[in-house]
Amino acid sequence: MRKANMLTAALLVGATAIGAALFDMSAASAEEVTVKLWARADRSGPLRAGNIVAAVEPLNAALKAAGSDKVVKVEVFESPATGFDADALDLLKAFSIGQGPDLFVMAHEWVGEFAKSGYAMQMDDFIKANPWAFADVIPVLWNATKFDGKVYAIPQDSEIRMFFYNKDMLRKIGKDEAFIEGLPGMVEKGEFTMADLSALTKEVISGGAATMGLVHRPNAGPDYLMTLASFGVNVFDEASGKLLLPKAEMLKALEWYASNAKDGVVPQNNTAMSWDEIQGAFKTEKAFLYHQGVWATKEWMLGDAKGATWPTDEAGYFKKIGWIHAPAAEKGGEPKNLSHPIVYIVNPKSANANLAAMIVAYATLPYYNVQHAAGSAHTAITYGEANMPAYKDAWYLAAAMPMLARSIFIPNHPAFGRYNGILYKALQGVETLRLTPDEAIDFLEDELTNELGDDVMVVDKLN
Amino acid sequence: MTLRSSEAVRRRLDRLIFLGPATGLLVLFFIAPVIVDIGIAFSDMGRNLRVSEFTTENVERMLTGDRRLSGVLTTTFLYVLFTLGIFNVTYGLVLALVTTSLPERTGAFFRAVWLLPRMSPSVVYALLWSWVVAPTDYGLLNQTFAGLGLPLIDLKSDAPMLLIVLANGFIGASFGMIIFTSAIRSIPEHLFHAARVDGAGGLSIVRFVTLPAIRWQLSFVTLYQALSLLVSFEYIWLITDGGPFFDTTVWALYVYQRAFESGQYAYGAALSLALVIIGIFFALLLWRFFDMRALLQKPRIEVS
Amino acid sequence: MTAIVIAQPAEAPAYDWPKLAAKARSRRRTQNLLLYGLMVLGALPVLVPYLWLFTVAFSGRTGTSTLVLWRTLAVLLPALFGWSLLRLTMAPGRRLHMLEIGLAVATIALLAVLTGPYLHLDNWRFLWNRDIADTLKGASGVGGTFPSVWTAFGNSLFLACAQMVIVISVATLAGYYLSRFDFRGRPSYLKGLLVLHAFPAMTLIIPIFLMMYWIGLLDTLTGVILIIVALELPFAIFVMKGFFDAVPWDIEMSAMTDGASRRQAFRMVVLPQVKVGMLAIAIFAFLRGWEEYVFVRTLLTSKSNWTMSLYLFWMRDDLMGTDYAMVSAMGVFYVLPSVVLYTFMQKYLTQMTIGGIKG
Repeated sequence: MRKANMLTAALLVGATAIGAALFDMSAASAEEVTVKLWARADRSGPLRAGNIVAAVEPLNAALKAAGSDKVVKVEVFESPATGFDADALDLLKAFSIGQGPDLFVMAHEWVGEFAKSGYAMQMDDFIKANPWAFADVIPVLWNATKFDGKVYAIPQDSEIRMFFYNKDMLRKIGKDEAFIEGLPGMVEKGEFTMADLSALTKEVISGGAATMGLVHRPNAGPDYLMTLASFGVNVFDEASGKLLLPKAEMLKALEWYASNAKDGVVPQNNTAMSWDEIQGAFKTEKAFLYHQGVWATKEWMLGDAKGATWPTDEAGYFKKIGWIHAPAAEKGGEPKNLSHPIVYIVNPKSANANLAAMIVAYATLPYYNVQHAAGSAHTAITYGEANMPAYKDAWYLAAAMPMLARSIFIPNHPAFGRYNGILYKALQGVETLRLTPDEAIDFLEDELTNELGDDVMVVDKLN
Repeated sequence: MTLRSSEAVRRRLDRLIFLGPATGLLVLFFIAPVIVDIGIAFSDMGRNLRVSEFTTENVERMLTGDRRLSGVLTTTFLYVLFTLGIFNVTYGLVLALVTTSLPERTGAFFRAVWLLPRMSPSVVYALLWSWVVAPTDYGLLNQTFAGLGLPLIDLKSDAPMLLIVLANGFIGASFGMIIFTSAIRSIPEHLFHAARVDGAGGLSIVRFVTLPAIRWQLSFVTLYQALSLLVSFEYIWLITDGGPFFDTTVWALYVYQRAFESGQYAYGAALSLALVIIGIFFALLLWRFFDMRALLQKPRIEVS
Repeated sequence: MTAIVIAQPAEAPAYDWPKLAAKARSRRRTQNLLLYGLMVLGALPVLVPYLWLFTVAFSGRTGTSTLVLWRTLAVLLPALFGWSLLRLTMAPGRRLHMLEIGLAVATIALLAVLTGPYLHLDNWRFLWNRDIADTLKGASGVGGTFPSVWTAFGNSLFLACAQMVIVISVATLAGYYLSRFDFRGRPSYLKGLLVLHAFPAMTLIIPIFLMMYWIGLLDTLTGVILIIVALELPFAIFVMKGFFDAVPWDIEMSAMTDGASRRQAFRMVVLPQVKVGMLAIAIFAFLRGWEEYVFVRTLLTSKSNWTMSLYLFWMRDDLMGTDYAMVSAMGVFYVLPSVVLYTFMQKYLTQMTIGGIKG
């Protein structure tokens, strides 16, 4: 019932908006309009494209109600890129030869590059004109869609990256329940630091409860940024709009990684492992900590996958596993986590730009977005969505929502992808003991200034 | 119309028919891109494929500003040297010698085994390697080691150069094997008989009869495979992606990463031009060494 | 013990031919056994991973278990060892044949007992289930946009065959001309070819991408075919020239003195002599097209143009972990055509090599 009501309301409001938007385009005879959507073939979020396909239905109904003869059809191109960065480069190539889509799904940090190249439509006016779709969007998410202070994209989802820790292992080495259950609170208050986390991990390993300490992703990605942020690393200077390399803070962060590698807290060959091995190591309880996003819970932690069976209910799961931010670097400091929203971007040069934007507006409605959120374990983009039964049933999402308060985002700087790639190389160098932290700073400075030139500012110390 | 001029027309027609298609295809789809590439090397083309000015900045950066290059060059040299020395030439020769001296069907079987990696599409081959050397006990190698009571090893982190030499060598050995096998087969049988009558053992037959007879093929394989190894990177890319850090980043892969993983197409193009120059230099060096003039020998007679 | 007795040098008797022959045979046998052992040891690291792929394809359940592999090896290796012993020690004949059949039956029976319970065809469901992504991770949401494996298979086959045919015909013509005709610029042409082979073709992706766009061949299989043909040609022409060089002049001359034109002589007399070379090129060219990944990945965007390499890469490369057992089955499916091709061609190859070089 609820769903039907919301849809009707949306249809009515939407119809008027569309009537205005398409006044000049209305034709006498039925006309099929094809909107081309580019989305990376990604099984972790099939409804990113799927919701756009589904949202055509209310749009067509609204068009009909507004007296238009247009019938909109979505043609999906699923690109076979291996990650969002590779996909962005492919899409840029397609755009540069005039084969860009009308609408595309992209990781938010690419907004800057596409906006700068004129491939992303400025959305501020459209958002203002369609409050029925956008007024309820969680405000902090708009930060992820801005470039030069203007909005160029619509959030598609959000999520929380965190450290998962194995409570059973702490029990095995004799920690009491108060400590085990109180850990997230201590991290939240800044009482438990990064160094404490390393020490605890060492304790777990030497106590024989685990053979590996912390395992993280084996490739470049946004995850590392939250750890760096805990050490005070800020990679973006708001004032100048440039990327930043604060050497002193970065050195502290790299020293943490280096000592972890030396002490066996992080396996030195973490980056040589496959996702399967890394996830398997945590699931089969060989590793104590796992660093990634909340969606992993539903993806393979619950139930039977990756070589072990874990409880699927809330109580059972949280008896075994706990979630923490990246702890503060020093006592009293701020813990951090990271949210990495995916966004929809409209091609401003498309003849169907307005229609494409309208489809996005419909897809933003809780009815559609909650299917992606609950289906793929990503946090909500609107408050309404967060209150829907389907969302509340996904208890891991409800549990993750409060963590959003500590979230940082990747800067929407066009060159961030390259910055991140170089950063990963440095981290890999440190973790495999091929570079000392000092050499890594040297490497970062050299590579960043050579590759990014004026886009990056190197400073000795922030503040 | 004199006889001579109709003769000239026919000659031209011959050239058009025989050499025309190859020349056309090569010019259009190989040489033209090379020229475009040179243009890009001296431009500022970035990830949006736009050129706003022409500059020598890329070349300057390559010659003075890139601190990774010396390491990449060393890696490339070691990779080519080891793969070529151990597998493409030496092991290829061993395979050819042994399989030709075994009974025909057995020999053919072992040649087929060594051709299997070459038969396999690169994606499958790389997939197999990454499964085999997986650092935990998922990997086939580590399961074998564990079965023998040995500690786990992680080639990808601890001996990445060995890993890429092995992975490329398993494919590379078969090229030499094929060429050498047919060369050995074409040595007149009576030479072997004569050597045997003179009391030569297996090894001295190889040394005094077989090796001299296939000298040309040996130099051909060395030259060709050195160049192939120098410019190829697909397997390294798929198996180690040049890592950990820059440990297995050979020049060709470095070019690819600069161009396609960080979108600096102009700098990538400049780097690739350098690789061509290194390649040509390499070719000339080997040329002197091995007297490749035989390859360019004029046709002995021409019937027109 | 008896072997040692036989091996002892006889004190200068009149030549005992049968004895000498036996001695030579046994020496040869030991030598062969040694070489054979060496080859087996060398071949194991190559073969076992493929065997693993094969066993996982028929027995794995979402992961890459090695259980079936070890059991298979435990049966196969002793069986092969026994078989080679039989072959090397017994004279060919009815008894050997019977023993061989017995060994084969025993091996198969043992394999069936030890691995049978684990075997299933579920990993091959991608062959008949059109939207395989659905079966892996719930509905893909956009439904039906993931191409069927047969589309990819057809594309790869077309790409490989078309490319192979063009390379053979063009390289044969050019190789003949370069081998038989002298013309100004011939040395430079040959040197140029060598340089083109040295050119890092992968780095040409960007100019090739732009040029394909300019001439309207982007996102077409034709475009990819032409590019791969051009990149394969320098090598192919060299090989063909080598084969033509080896064809003696006399047969061509005699054909022409009999009144055949140059082109007729080429077609009817010389061409049959270089069949081996053409087949060698054919195998290499087919494989190159069949396995092509980098250019396909860069130049083709439409799903309907996907080749096997893209299909498999997409299947194996999934952030969330994938069904490795099914990936194995796909790998086997993808390797199979090139292996079949090789098995057929190899017979030709050996025959022709001998015929081609004798002149």
